[in-house]
Amino acid sequence: MTSAATSLPTQIAALLPRLRRFARTITFNREDADDLVQLAVERALNRSTQWEPGTRLDSWIFRIMKNAWIDEVRARMRRDTVFAPEQAGEHVGDDFAEAHQQRMAIQKAVSLLSEDHRIVIGLVLVDGLPYKEAAEVLEIPMGTLTSRLARAREALQGLLSDQARNVS
Amino acid sequence: MKFSDETLMAYADGELDPATRTAVERAIRADPSLAAKVRQHAATRSNVFAAFGPIADEPVPPRLSAAAHSGKVIQLHTARTARAEASQEKRRWSWPEWGGIAAALIVGVVAGGMGVGSMQDDVQLAATAGAGGMLVAHGELADALSNRLAGAAGQSGPVRVGVSFEAKGGGYCRSFMMGTAAGLACRNGAEWRVPLMAEASKGASGDYRQAASEMPPQVLDAIDARMSGQTLDAKAEEAARERGWKR
Repeated sequence: MTSAATSLPTQIAALLPRLRRFARTITFNREDADDLVQLAVERALNRSTQWEPGTRLDSWIFRIMKNAWIDEVRARMRRDTVFAPEQAGEHVGDDFAEAHQQRMAIQKAVSLLSEDHRIVIGLVLVDGLPYKEAAEVLEIPMGTLTSRLARAREALQGLLSDQARNVS
Repeated sequence: MKFSDETLMAYADGELDPATRTAVERAIRADPSLAAKVRQHAATRSNVFAAFGPIADEPVPPRLSAAAHSGKVIQLHTARTARAEASQEKRRWSWPEWGGIAAALIVGVVAGGMGVGSMQDDVQLAATAGAGGMLVAHGELADALSNRLAGAAGQSGPVRVGVSFEAKGGGYCRSFMMGTAAGLACRNGAEWRVPLMAEASKGASGDYRQAASEMPPQVLDAIDARMSGQTLDAKAEEAARERGWKR
């Protein structure tokens, strides 16, 4: 499948699973995440002339999504909407293995990070974007990207250690 | 030579140029504390990916696929309001396919006080994040997965291959043991992806080799969840190898 031979909507459709995953990393619930994906997809299509074929489509849409989310967060703060991570996160059966609890614990910890930290973790650790691409999505220099990523990891480690202490 | 935490992080993320990477590798061998830091970075990455990675395997809601084929712009809160009105009942948050979650599970590579022990360096470095954040086997592990027959008597070397089978989605998967870890690798194109790696529990005697005869339950569950039919017998395994693990 080459980008020249495939239409933009088809290429975007192929990215949907990754877009949803990124959205779920940076928002706090599934519905907001899918709304955000929908918004980003629609904006991307509306501005399709701004995308330069030959550049990475995924980075471009991630950037649209990131900007849309930051706008949304600011708008919500203005509207003074209650804005907090879902209390219990995702509900699964009680008898799932420790590994599932660990996954929930990590999702919970990520949800407590700052916007910047969640976004950089979503791009690099979850989506697996190279540093260079992630820096382009965020429109920041590589040095800023690496230090932000390092701080985000540190913050996450701190939250996870706190959780572990509180549990035991 | 001294390396900053950011350099060690970049090493764990596979982001260094070859010269710096070689220098860091040398330093890691000489200094266990550096190795521990690299392990922590790698573990954070693995754990975060394990927590969110499977989302990409969920079915995409039709409204999003439809959106990709239209160009109407809406506001986020408009979409939310419309949806809320459309569905009186609040949708429960549920992941129906926990079975599929094994897709990217890494158990026991836990850092930062959450608990379990640490895998050996060679294990950590045998599988690193590739495109899309998926762990990909390389080096000795990839070599053993491609070439070694599970049935071969007296497997030697650090990697032992357990069972081979055809996965439900097509393609071959093989279980393996390496050092203190056990996992599952599935052939994808020219590479072995490692959807799951878990730490083999230490035996009562503390002897890893003895414990290594037991696959951790997470790996066994993942095999059960993915296997289509039976494990390959020696003949089928050899035939699969001859075809380069293509089906």
